[in-house]
Order: sequence, then structure tokens, then C-alpha cells
Amino acid sequence: MANEKVDVVIVGGGASGILLAAKLGQAGKKAVILEMGPPLALDDLVSSQIWSRRLKWGGVPVVSEGRNPVAHNFQSGWGLGGAAMHQFANWPRFHPEDFRVKTQYGRGLDWPISYADLRPYYDRIQKEVGLSGDHVAEVWRPAGDPYPMPPIRWFRQAELLAEGFRKIGMRTAPMPLAINSVSYNGRPACIYDGWCEAGCPTGALVNPQVTYLPVAKKAGVEIRTGAYVTRVLVNAKGDRASGVEYYDKARERREQHADVVVLSAFSASNPRILLNSANDRHPKGLANSSGLVGHNVTAHITFSAFAMFEENTENHMGTSGAFGMSQDGYVKDSHPGFGSYTWTIGVAMKPNDVLGFANSRPQLFGNALHEFMKRASRGLARIGVQAEELPNPENRVVLSDRKDAYGFPLARVIHGLDENSMRLFDHIRSEGDRIVKATRAKETWTNPSPGLAHFLGGTVMGKSAKDSVADGYGRTHDVANLFITGGGLFPTIAGVHPTFTLHALTLRTADYMAKNWGGIAA
Amino acid sequence: MGTVNRRMVLKGAALASLAYTVGGAEVLLSPREAHAQGVPLKVLTADERVALEALGETLLPGARDAGLAHYVDQQLSVDPSESLLLARALGVAPPYANFYRAGLAGLDQSSRRAHGMTFAELAADKRAEFVEQIRQKAPEGWSGPQSPFFYFVSRGDAVDVYYGTVEGFERLGIPYMPHIIPIKRW
Repeated sequence: MANEKVDVVIVGGGASGILLAAKLGQAGKKAVILEMGPPLALDDLVSSQIWSRRLKWGGVPVVSEGRNPVAHNFQSGWGLGGAAMHQFANWPRFHPEDFRVKTQYGRGLDWPISYADLRPYYDRIQKEVGLSGDHVAEVWRPAGDPYPMPPIRWFRQAELLAEGFRKIGMRTAPMPLAINSVSYNGRPACIYDGWCEAGCPTGALVNPQVTYLPVAKKAGVEIRTGAYVTRVLVNAKGDRASGVEYYDKARERREQHADVVVLSAFSASNPRILLNSANDRHPKGLANSSGLVGHNVTAHITFSAFAMFEENTENHMGTSGAFGMSQDGYVKDSHPGFGSYTWTIGVAMKPNDVLGFANSRPQLFGNALHEFMKRASRGLARIGVQAEELPNPENRVVLSDRKDAYGFPLARVIHGLDENSMRLFDHIRSEGDRIVKATRAKETWTNPSPGLAHFLGGTVMGKSAKDSVADGYGRTHDVANLFITGGGLFPTIAGVHPTFTLHALTLRTADYMAKNWGGIAA
Repeated sequence: MGTVNRRMVLKGAALASLAYTVGGAEVLLSPREAHAQGVPLKVLTADERVALEALGETLLPGARDAGLAHYVDQQLSVDPSESLLLARALGVAPPYANFYRAGLAGLDQSSRRAHGMTFAELAADKRAEFVEQIRQKAPEGWSGPQSPFFYFVSRGDAVDVYYGTVEGFERLGIPYMPHIIPIKRW
């Protein structure tokens, strides 16, 4: 069954899809968002780490494999707003060299755009949604407008940890956070109760439900939840997208035709849809003349070091995002293991869940765990890292032998860290150990092995179909009216969290599409 | 903008009521209440319940009375997209009952192989020794999910029911400070 044709159909109601829809809606385009998950609302954001799991992936299984499997379900989202509903809101910018890693260092890939291309969009986004930070203290920060809000409040944990950095000669600054330190644009200031991962219902934290979703709705964007997109449809010649095929809540097959098709789903889902859209004209999958659809999946290498203080660290207060940061390790070739990294200094913690007190000592159980929980709830503090993994074509999304209820293969993600990443991790672990030992804590320890955060790449942008799937606006090289948005476009991932860059990149695409609509939709 | 603030908090409300069937009627109870009232399980067998409670009590004493088996069982009875289980966030493939069944079977099989009895039949010190073993490496006779991962998930469930609640926060002297307290039906 076909619906009425629209200007643009956007697959995925996450941060990038909703932002794009809002801007195109404001530009007068008739836009439809097809979101697989449920229609979340602010009063669904129950303050509980147990309940927070309803914001994690709940769709068809994604098979995760390899030496270091990506944590797909933990990173992705479920429902309107997507992964941004449970984001921690650490929003540093990428640095200029992050966009030219291959040119400057002879490794990895280049972006087809520069920091200068993206800077105006960083500035616009931070003004539109609000960021808290200190652009002067953040000495590593590239050129950009000052943050519109002062930094968030630091609790005792952050002060105690920052002392360790200072003692070994490292600089610290407030982390730029997409969380209101004061009221901003009608949204209230944060009250520091640390429930960010469970979703912030107050509006203090930037999530699509309080930023661009209201804009999109006001602009007349239609949102259909429970809409499971399986394929992009093409015209008879196979050179233009004509719409998408999806299954609705009643499991009825439907088609949504549009002048422009945008894939804004998660980084595992976009390649899956493209590969499942293979046809006679595109036997390797749609937009895949490069053979690179699904390849160059990347994740940030993570690490935590802990310090147990005798004084009260107030660790239940604050945000899931960090109080502070240090980018003294950002220069990619200045240490063992190539790549940038950012230290995060202190976060609000809860007793349970993946990042709670209990899992800072996963080997403890029985009464020893009870005893530890009591001490941790008063004196625990944590530093962490987001470190850059270089793109590797062998880290990839492919189609599985397993199929969904409609006969379409599932996504299978294969990922492993290479020797360089492990050298970088070893360096970071050693540095983290020195930092926490330099604090006044009586007991410190570090995670023995790397973790992974975020899920990026898989449909990377570049200059041509020889090296990439899409151009600098996310327009696929092979199909002129088929676009991709989101973190899947990132050729390299820098040593910082991706969500600010994802927003800036999507806003740039929205501008481009609105200004060049005739050439795109024709 | 429809923001929510602290005014929405329902003070003194019961935590985390799940839907249980008692005497043919559906009632809302906390896992602790369901355990105390002896509400029948929907998914796990009697042997699986015994094994899970013995494991939970070894991982975190008090988890059994906090309703570990009733929490896991009730969550296994709902659609995976509605699940609150840690297993969901960690990428376990649904249906999650397969994961628990296989892990608990592995626990009892390997316990029988090593000690000639099920895990729940072991003395407390032997249970602790056995958990220390599965935490690091699968013992002989183990089948199902990797034993260190099963340990990690089961331990997470025990911590959830014991410490991840308003009562649990109170035990640690931490204010819960909710925006929206979890009183909704699970």
C-alpha cells in the first residue's frame, strides 16, 4: 500500500533525522519521519537506571562479533529521539587536524570538508540548543564562538580528581556540556541529580524531545512510529531513489514515495538497509559502487580509572556527562599509539547498571560487594577516556545469514582493535594510573582492558566513490537524491564524543538541501 | 514545550510495581512483594528458580528476598522491546529466557560434574568458590553463554533488585532524587 508522495522521507527519528526534518519543514518541505521504535514522550523518562534500558535498542537483533565487539544495543536508542535520549551530553568540538588525518599524518582517512567548513554550524548549533562551558579555560579548543552559558557546577569529586591531573602537570578545564547551567531558551537549569542516562525530562539536557522535535512538529513534519524500513526503492533506470518500503505497526507492507530519501537511522541500520536494497542495477547494494557500504566501522576506545577517597566525593550529584576534561593528550603523534584522546573528569554515579558503583569492581561479590558498595557510595570517583580508533575496512557491517520476520537479513557487525589501538590504550592506562595515584585517594585501580563507546562509520563520506559512500553533505555518490545523515558518515572519529559534530554536520546538510532543493529533487 | 519538573514526583509512592497474576487477577506488586507472597512464576521452572535464587544470594546476599527471581521472570514474560533487563542493554539476543535457561543449566551441569550436586545444593562456601571459578573461566561441564558473561549479567540483576531501587539507595544513604519515580506498570 502506498502513501501520498512527499518531498522527503527520513528514515529514523533520532537526533540527526529530527534536526533535518525540522529544518526542511521550516523551509516549506513536506517531510515524513519513519521511526521504528515507539513514540517516547518526556513523561516516559523514568528516573531509574533499570528503566533506562527502555531507551536502549529494542529492534531486530544486531549480531555483534569480532575480537572487540561493539556495544550496539548500549550505544543505540529505541524510540523517538533515538540514542540522543540517553546521551551523556559531552559536546567538545573536533579539532582541525581531525578532518585531515591522512593528509597530515599519512594514516586513516580525510574528511571531504574542513573544520572551517563546519565551524559556522558548530556555532549555530550551540546557540540554538545551548551549551555550558568555558572557552578560555579550554585551551585546546579550536576557534569558535564562546559558549552561551557558563560551565556547570563542580562537585567535590571533580575537585579531588583535578588535583591529580595538576600534580602530574596536566591541564584541566570544564567539559562543554549540552546541559543548561542556567535557564536557556525557556528550558530550565540542571538540578544535578544524575539521571541523564535515564533521559532528562526537565528539558535541561539537549535531547530531541525538547529541541528540534517541537520545531519539526510545528513545521508540519509527519512522524510515523512503529515504521520498520526494509529497503530503499529506486526508479526503473535505477539511478534515483523513489521512496522506501516499510512495515507498519500492523505488519502491513507499505511504500512511502518521496522526491528525496534520507537514511538517518543508526550506523548499523543504514548499511543494512542499503545492502538489503540490492537490485539488478545495484547488485552489491544501493549506493555501493565503492564496495564500502558497511566498512570502516569505528568506536571510541574507552578506559576508566578509579579513586576511593576517605572524604565524601558527593558522587551521586552532577551529570552523566563529565565535570571536567583534559586534552593534553590530543596531539595524535605525541605519545605511544597514534590517535587523539580526551580525559573526562568525574561523573555522577548510581549504584547499579553498566557504569554504576558495582561494576567499578566487577570481580567483587557476596558480602565483599556489600561492603564495597557502602564505601563507594561515599568516596568513589572516576576518570575516563574517549580515544580515537583509526578506520579499518575490516571492521564492518555485513548481512547475516539470520533473517527478520519479513525475510530480510539482519546486520552483523564485526569489529576488533588493532595493535595501534592497543598501544594507545596501554599508554592511556599508564597515564590514568599516574593521575589517580597523584590524588589524595588511599586506594586506586584501573580497568585492565579497553571498552568501546559510540558506533560510527559504515557509510563514510569522502571525495568520490573511489574512497567513500557519500560526499561532504551526506549525498550518496551513486544516487543523487539519496542522502545519509548521522555518525555513520564520519571517516575518522577524533578523540572526543560525536554528538555535537553529528548535529553540526546535519545542520550543514539541511542548509545545503534547502538551498539546492531544485537540483536535488529534480 | 512540555517540560516536567519535580512537581511530578509522587512522594511516598511504591517503587516499581510489576504486573503479576494472583488468583487469576492481575495485580501490581514489587518483586519483593511478589516473592514474599509466593506468586507463581510465569516463565522459569521450579528448578531454574532455585538455581537463580541460589546464584543471586551468593552474588549479593539479600537478592533472593529482594525478589530477584520474580523480577527476572516477570521481565522474561514481556515483549523484548519492553524489557528492563540488563541483558537487553548488553546485546543478548532475545528471547532472553533462552539466555537464562542456558546459563542456569550450565551452572547446575558443571556443579554436578565437579561436586555431584546442583549449585543450590552446595554449602555456602562451596557456592562462593564455584562462583569465583565461573567468574573467570567456564568450569568443566559448562554449556550455554560464556560463564564470565553470565556471571556479569546475573550479578547485575542482583544489584538491580537490591540496590537499584529507592530502598536500595536508602540502604546506601544516597538520596534518590527522582524527576519521575518508577511507579508505572512494568
